[in-house]
Amino acid sequence: MASPLRVMMLTWEFPPRIIGGISPHVYYLSKNLAKNDVKVYVVTCDFPGAPDHETMDGVEVFRIDSYKNPSPDFASWVYLMNMNMQKEAAALVKSLGGVDIFHAHDWLVANAGIGLKHIFRKPLLATIHSTEIGRRNGLHSDYERMIHETEAWLTYEAWRVICCSNYMVSHVRWAFGLPEDKLVMIPNGVDAKEYAKDAVDLSQFRKRFALPEEKIVLYVGRLVYEKGIQILISAVPKILEKVNAKFVVVGNGYMKEPLSEQVKRMGLAHKVLFTGFVDDETLRSLQKCADVCVVPSLFEPFGIVALEAMAAKSPVVVSDTGGLSEIVEHDVTGVKVYPNPDSLAWGVTRVLLDENYANRLRENAYRMVVEKFNWEKISQQTKDVYKQVLDEYSKTFWA
Amino acid sequence: MRVIIFSWEYPPRVVGKLANYVRDLSIQLAKNKVEPFVVTYHEYLTGEFEEGGLKIHRVTNPVKTHISVLTWVLTLNQEVERVAANIYYKTGKQISLIDAHDWHFIPAAVTLKKALGIPFVYSIESLEDHRSHGANSPFNMAIKSIEWLGMHEASAIIVKSDWMADEAIRIYKVPEAKIKIVNPESGFWPKNVLEVYKSLKEAVFNYG
Repeated sequence: MASPLRVMMLTWEFPPRIIGGISPHVYYLSKNLAKNDVKVYVVTCDFPGAPDHETMDGVEVFRIDSYKNPSPDFASWVYLMNMNMQKEAAALVKSLGGVDIFHAHDWLVANAGIGLKHIFRKPLLATIHSTEIGRRNGLHSDYERMIHETEAWLTYEAWRVICCSNYMVSHVRWAFGLPEDKLVMIPNGVDAKEYAKDAVDLSQFRKRFALPEEKIVLYVGRLVYEKGIQILISAVPKILEKVNAKFVVVGNGYMKEPLSEQVKRMGLAHKVLFTGFVDDETLRSLQKCADVCVVPSLFEPFGIVALEAMAAKSPVVVSDTGGLSEIVEHDVTGVKVYPNPDSLAWGVTRVLLDENYANRLRENAYRMVVEKFNWEKISQQTKDVYKQVLDEYSKTFWA
Repeated sequence: MRVIIFSWEYPPRVVGKLANYVRDLSIQLAKNKVEPFVVTYHEYLTGEFEEGGLKIHRVTNPVKTHISVLTWVLTLNQEVERVAANIYYKTGKQISLIDAHDWHFIPAAVTLKKALGIPFVYSIESLEDHRSHGANSPFNMAIKSIEWLGMHEASAIIVKSDWMADEAIRIYKVPEAKIKIVNPESGFWPKNVLEVYKSLKEAVFNYG
């Protein structure tokens, strides 16, 4: 192909709008595809202060009016936002003289992606980052069933479905009954270079969070049931029996209030710090200061926080579930535990009490992250899928 | 002239007055050298049908479970887009316009206009303010925002009475010149609809 491949990425979040893992994922993927001679147009929701159109690291970003009237509920807002996204993306494709592929991230942009596919007769790819049936551990209402069916519809219409771990490939295949050859596993990545920068004096920075004699146990993630933060809170007294530590909990969620109440009742308010949402630089510095990072998830499609901790050279203790099982090799690149307080406490104290062991985990994990989960490699794998799909497309009557 | 007609009801699916009106309109258009393609909804009778010389395309909702008519409509629109695009490509891109009846498939009409340059007429049978008696919950406001979108993106608006013309102007601040009153009780209403279609076609040729 002489002219560069043109991809339109559809995503409900893109920096500076950051809600979950999709935003950084699409940012790094798009940036590295652009470096790899792919023309990327990102269409995403608007954000206060961010321009409607800008070029970020070689990626053209278009921010649409994300429907700001009051909406009956979140899902209705998603569909209304898609109406606007599709309308604006359609005008954009027309003015650009066409694109080659639409790439949609999760059900949050399903409608827009599916409509654009048929109207312009171009292939649609979908990355499924998470599923409703997994997040909720089953489907319990019409609201949840509607979202599940929308996810199924997106995977049905997509020419390929990309998942970030083998666990998610098998989960998505089961959840939507997809044929095996429709699914592709391309891991999520982490930019280790971001962690190599020395932005702040870490010994000074550390004092803001812990006393010098306290080890730092770091949790990063939404404070919701499926992330298992309640398991860590229950493990706190068990860990404190063996080691003096400060537990730093980064993130927000509906469990924040009940958990901080629980910590107060346990008389451990001085040992557990809830920071809420922090900016990227603070987060990276915290990950670099941490003596151990814990990811006690009950459901985890991928587990990007474990990779980030590894890139920051912090030892990790993770629950042996979902994508985490694939990332971590027990005793080599981290510690795997059962998702219960006793097992978690065992893993954390093991790392905190044996410095040689912790250092060995840090080194092995860092090397693996740089080799296996770098964005150059991931963007190349993604580009290969694009090429394969376009080759198949060229043999259809749509071409 | 080829016209795609969007309606969420068409016989045998009859919800209100719209179903039979859209069928009468299609029959009259066909008599006047217009080739109509009706795109409508049916739960399970889907596909392309020839009925009395008319081409009827019926789609179903790809998402069966819904929490409201709003979410139901919003996932159905992509199927309407798919079938409309198929008609567009099959006819060698020779579609003069889309006639969208009521708010349901306005999102599809607007996207097709932006993507393929097909202008559309918004034909009003009823408005949310009258159906919900002025309620302004987020649900009603969402439907009204879709009606608003249709009013402002349409090349022309067809209403069935002077009263409805006044209401469209009052509620949605539509320029009066954009509204055409076609009384379906009068003997020459199909000619009036055709005039609106033709004015649109000329406008497209003038500007396009």
